[in-house]
Amino acid sequence: MPTVSSRGDAMRGLAVFISDIRNCKSKEAESKRINKELANIRSKFKGDKTLDGYSKKKYVCKLLFIFLLGHDIDFGHMEAVNLLSSNKYTEKQIGYLFISVLVSSNSDLMKLIIQNIKNDISSPKPVHVNLALHCIANIGSAEMSEAFGQEVPKLLVSAHASESVKQSAALCLLRLIRTLPDAMTYAEWASRVIHLLNDQHMGVVTSAASLIHTLSQLSPGDYKGCVSLAVSRLSRIVTSTYTDLQDYTYYFVPAPWLSVKLLRLLQCYPVPEEPAVRGRLVECLETILNKCQEPPKSKKVQHSNSKNAVLFEAINLIIHIDSEPNLLVRACNQLGQFLQHRETNLRYLALESMCLLAGSEFSADAVKKHRETVINALKTERDVSVRQRAVDLLYAMCDKTNSEEIVAEMLAYLKKADYAIREEMVLKVAILSEKYASDYTWYVDTILQLIRVAGDYVSEEVWHRVIQIVINRDDAQGYAAKTVFENLQAPACHENMVKVGGYILGEFGNLIAGDERSSPLVQFNLLHSKFHLCTPSTRALLLSTYIKFINLFPEIKQTIQNVLQNDNQLRNADVELQQRALEYSQLSSITSQDVLATVLEEMPPFPERESSILAKLKKKKPASVQAIEKEEEKMKKSPPSIENHVNVPKEVPANTVSRLTISNSVDLLGLSTPPATPQQSTNSLLVDVFGSVDQPVAPKPESNISKFLFKNSGVLFENNLIQVGVKCEFKEHTGRVGLFFGNKTGNQLQNFSASVSMGADLQGKVNIAPQKEAPTQIDGGAQVQHFVNLECITFFSGSPNLQLRYQHASTPQQVTLKLPVIINKFMEGTNMPAADFFNRWKQLGQPVQETQKIFQANHPIDTEAAKTKLTGFGMSVLINVDPNPDNLVGSGIVKTKTSQIGCLLRLEPNKEAKMYRLTVRSSVGEVAALLCTMLEEHF
Amino acid sequence: MIGGLFLYNHKGEVLISRIYRDDIGRNACDAFRVNVIHARQHVRSPVTNIARTSFFHTKRGNIWLCAVTKQNVNAVMVFEFLMKMIEVMQSYFGKINEENIKNNFVLIYELLDEVLDFGYPQKTDTGILKTFITQQGIKTQIETILNGPKTKEETTQITSQVTGQIGWRREGIKYRRNELFLDVLESVNLLMSPQGQVLSAHVAGRVVMKSFLSGMPECKFGMNDKLVLDKGNKATDDLSKNSSGKPSIAIDDCTFHQCVKLSKFESERSISFIPADGEFELMRYRTTKDISLPFRVIPLVRDIARSKMEVKVVVKSNFKPTLLAQKIEIRIPTPLNTSGVQVLCMKGKAKYKASENAIVWKMKRMAGMKESQISAEIELLPTAEKKKWSRPPISMNFEVPFAPSGLKVRYLKVFEPKLNYNDHDVIKWVRYIGKSGLYETRC
Repeated sequence: MPTVSSRGDAMRGLAVFISDIRNCKSKEAESKRINKELANIRSKFKGDKTLDGYSKKKYVCKLLFIFLLGHDIDFGHMEAVNLLSSNKYTEKQIGYLFISVLVSSNSDLMKLIIQNIKNDISSPKPVHVNLALHCIANIGSAEMSEAFGQEVPKLLVSAHASESVKQSAALCLLRLIRTLPDAMTYAEWASRVIHLLNDQHMGVVTSAASLIHTLSQLSPGDYKGCVSLAVSRLSRIVTSTYTDLQDYTYYFVPAPWLSVKLLRLLQCYPVPEEPAVRGRLVECLETILNKCQEPPKSKKVQHSNSKNAVLFEAINLIIHIDSEPNLLVRACNQLGQFLQHRETNLRYLALESMCLLAGSEFSADAVKKHRETVINALKTERDVSVRQRAVDLLYAMCDKTNSEEIVAEMLAYLKKADYAIREEMVLKVAILSEKYASDYTWYVDTILQLIRVAGDYVSEEVWHRVIQIVINRDDAQGYAAKTVFENLQAPACHENMVKVGGYILGEFGNLIAGDERSSPLVQFNLLHSKFHLCTPSTRALLLSTYIKFINLFPEIKQTIQNVLQNDNQLRNADVELQQRALEYSQLSSITSQDVLATVLEEMPPFPERESSILAKLKKKKPASVQAIEKEEEKMKKSPPSIENHVNVPKEVPANTVSRLTISNSVDLLGLSTPPATPQQSTNSLLVDVFGSVDQPVAPKPESNISKFLFKNSGVLFENNLIQVGVKCEFKEHTGRVGLFFGNKTGNQLQNFSASVSMGADLQGKVNIAPQKEAPTQIDGGAQVQHFVNLECITFFSGSPNLQLRYQHASTPQQVTLKLPVIINKFMEGTNMPAADFFNRWKQLGQPVQETQKIFQANHPIDTEAAKTKLTGFGMSVLINVDPNPDNLVGSGIVKTKTSQIGCLLRLEPNKEAKMYRLTVRSSVGEVAALLCTMLEEHF
Repeated sequence: MIGGLFLYNHKGEVLISRIYRDDIGRNACDAFRVNVIHARQHVRSPVTNIARTSFFHTKRGNIWLCAVTKQNVNAVMVFEFLMKMIEVMQSYFGKINEENIKNNFVLIYELLDEVLDFGYPQKTDTGILKTFITQQGIKTQIETILNGPKTKEETTQITSQVTGQIGWRREGIKYRRNELFLDVLESVNLLMSPQGQVLSAHVAGRVVMKSFLSGMPECKFGMNDKLVLDKGNKATDDLSKNSSGKPSIAIDDCTFHQCVKLSKFESERSISFIPADGEFELMRYRTTKDISLPFRVIPLVRDIARSKMEVKVVVKSNFKPTLLAQKIEIRIPTPLNTSGVQVLCMKGKAKYKASENAIVWKMKRMAGMKESQISAEIELLPTAEKKKWSRPPISMNFEVPFAPSGLKVRYLKVFEPKLNYNDHDVIKWVRYIGKSGLYETRC
């Protein structure tokens, strides 16, 4: 550093100003003094005579001080920039200081500043170069990166730059790279930068190591060569004694920072392959481990800190290498010593590193030796973050042999664990107990205990999972039922326990019903005693359990029905509860035991899948919510196969409810006079009101039957008085049409009549017989049903009419509708292999038997949608028949009483032209033509 | 109710700490110091809530006065009390500063014992307090030694006065000359637009009485308040003139000293009272209508160049030419990047005060219906950021010998039925002083 003139050092004015401000008694006095000083500086800067460097420096310094006190400074920048061109070190220094503190990167002065920095960088005086480099790094803007991205590396690798300049240049470059990683090319000076690791000067090596670490992450390929250099440098450091590196020995540890940097750098690359380098590296690591065994050379904390810093970084590298069993085990032992160290930080780091070691195959066993210590740490440790690490480590070291002990310890600890880590612990316990469960009774015990100890922290996934497992494991069911029953007997039990208990008893309550201490009634009363303390979702689950009980234990049916029909349930404010109660009580009262048994048969096993708990722990984010919801739905619903048999009014989609609100509510609430069940056969339409789910949400009031071409149920007609719903069933040549007349008004519709008639063209082709007389009146808001049986004698076109007559407000009204009874309803799909199809196709080759149409597509061409339509139409879609996957082929048989007519179909889309070609062949030509016309307008 | 009272110096060191209730702990004073006095941001709210404890503070000079409570008290009452406390201390030992407080340490604790009891404010009237808390504790001791202990009569008198119906005056006062002084003190506040439009104006006034009257005289005070006058002659339709043709004023609201019989004011609109002995504030009032503004300020600000601006300010006095305004001071703010100012004024002295970022123009006196002018050239330093200067308003201070609200004392009658002097024997002095409050004109 150049000698500083005594005058330059003094700056008495500044000292006086600062002491003035320090002596101010109040904020007001301070701001007065500052205002005065600012006015003085302004007048000085404004003054006509030019200021000399010294006073400029002094005033700029004062401005800087005022700025640092928290006042705005909006002038003086120019003066500061002027200082940069001064030749004196102190003036330059203050100028640079002001600029790096105060000048914003988008200032107008930036160009001027950059010019000044450029001058200084090329200056022969190293101190000036250093000042400039520091300023670049301090500002570190993108603009700086662009301006000096080329210059700084040159300085770094130039032959005649001094060490201090190289040091600064390396750090400055690092800063610029971090700001704008893409602005520079690294390859050209890569090899020369790498060789800085060999520099004589340790300072240069240290700063270069940081730079190379960043660069090697950006372009690993170019800096591969640094590995061997780093290893040799490292070995030179670790083998040196503390007297060798005079200036760079920190409390008897040689160059700890550099060592750590080099060890980190080595972790960026795979293990060196040349045996010499590798051997040397292993040797280094061994030396570091050895050195830790030596007695400390000093009692100062800095000594042990720096020694441990190197050691932990070395262990990280050992873990990174992961192929030296000897080293891994030694590292593990070393860490084991730290587990009981006085220093909390050391214990934390030791546990953290051990977690990583536990993942390695070589050291896993070594880690397990410390199980006792870790468990002890969990119990006695005062610092929560250390305990957290201990939990992590226990989780990591758990395996089949020690799982029971570890899980037991974790459960015991859970009682007094910190709230912050409870949820994570619960997840971990759940996963471990599932993963390593050899005996499912143990698993069930563990989870139930988990719920008991930390119920609030048990997430949905955990108890869903236990139910999945119990259902899938026959051997665990009885035990589970018994255990939950015992657990539920506790005076206060967590809601999650009630959920699990409700579900399991509902499914497997019968397994323990033999014992009179857990007779059906006792089970029910036990569950019901918890009912009122639970949230609606749990109550809903319990209601499902009750209906299952009705099935399992017919002897307590009456008790349960009383509960279900209690006003608390039937008129509950919660819609879900109300609906469940209603439907379950209906289900239990109308249906026979057989139906009930089918509906409520035992849940089928769940498909095996990845534990959702694990996924939750992995993410610990709410992203998996959707999956959870799905799962939940699955668990609540009875399996779909049952629903297909009988239309169980279990979960009515909201849209149907809203559509038929009035009629439904009457139907549902008329419990005292249950509606006459139309048919007693199991296959009948139980409460057809709810129809099938795929109905349109808001059908338009039109009697357009074309939409019924592809489906069998829906709203046929609707105006402001009446709604006509239809549901058809067809089997071979017979069919049944259910008509539902809903009165939408509040008044009775009188003189109601509904008759089905056939035009002349249908006479003798279709037989129609109403099952009963049609109702003659419909009460306000009520819905009545009417069933008509059909028989198809022979092929027909068109469809029968439905005539409705009724009187509303003493005015007679009449509506004529087409019934959705079309010839394709009697068609049944047939599957056949490709060869058969082509045979038949050829057989029906006569021109009469084929109808072909080419038409414009009405809808966007979508193969899947077309497929669905064809299936709905009654055809089987044959796969792998046509060589072109876009083309669809189908086959079906129209079944009438007198004959069976085979039909084959081929649909070829032309996506470019948005056209279809539809070819239908049938043994009866008319049928082919008819089907073709019917389908034409729907594609 | 008030749980405790603390006095701090500017550094936040506790000078006086008096705790009245147990719910306030010792650490309360630290909480206030940390969160308010030493707060990183300047705390502007006079009420601060820290941990369910309310701190009501005010600052006099460098002294912080802070009342603490945990209860839901009437905040206005607390501040009224703090103001009274300041008044009391000022009357005992003058200016409130650290040194005075340290010197009168014992006295202040004695006062605090008296003015608050279990946190409930008691007597805060200086005159009464002075009857039993004498300024020099030591002197009292000497007196007792010399004169023997206080006579029984004296003690009973103090007791009867403090607990009696008329707590503000003792019996048996005798003066050779029955004399009274009445001061009408007003401060006028104004905000005016550059074009001379009044944006807001109001007058806050006080009537202060100093009485030296014998016995227990009954006084009646009359002024030209519209309500009081209207009561006198309901028949008159003209609202702004009474029967004698003098203008009346509309008082927006007023408060009286406790000696005024409010029931009589409610029913008869007459202000009658038995005055306290010595000086007291008879009433406080506020008016917003028909204010005669003593001065008008006409600013003219021009940007000549990027680094120069010119300011011209004309002041016109707007009252009777026979009257003289005093202590006139006009403060013209300057931009924050001012580097030099040249001032030229016809009258008085003007100076650029850098520490306050303003030009201060002072005139000793100015007669009515006159005008005066100042012009200044301000040089500016170009700044890095082009932030516009917010142009704070020009403010003014003055003192005029009349009441800007127009209030006039019509009469003050004294009746003393027991002693043999009547209204004519009393010498009465009335004085009007109008001062500036926040008297600002935007430029």
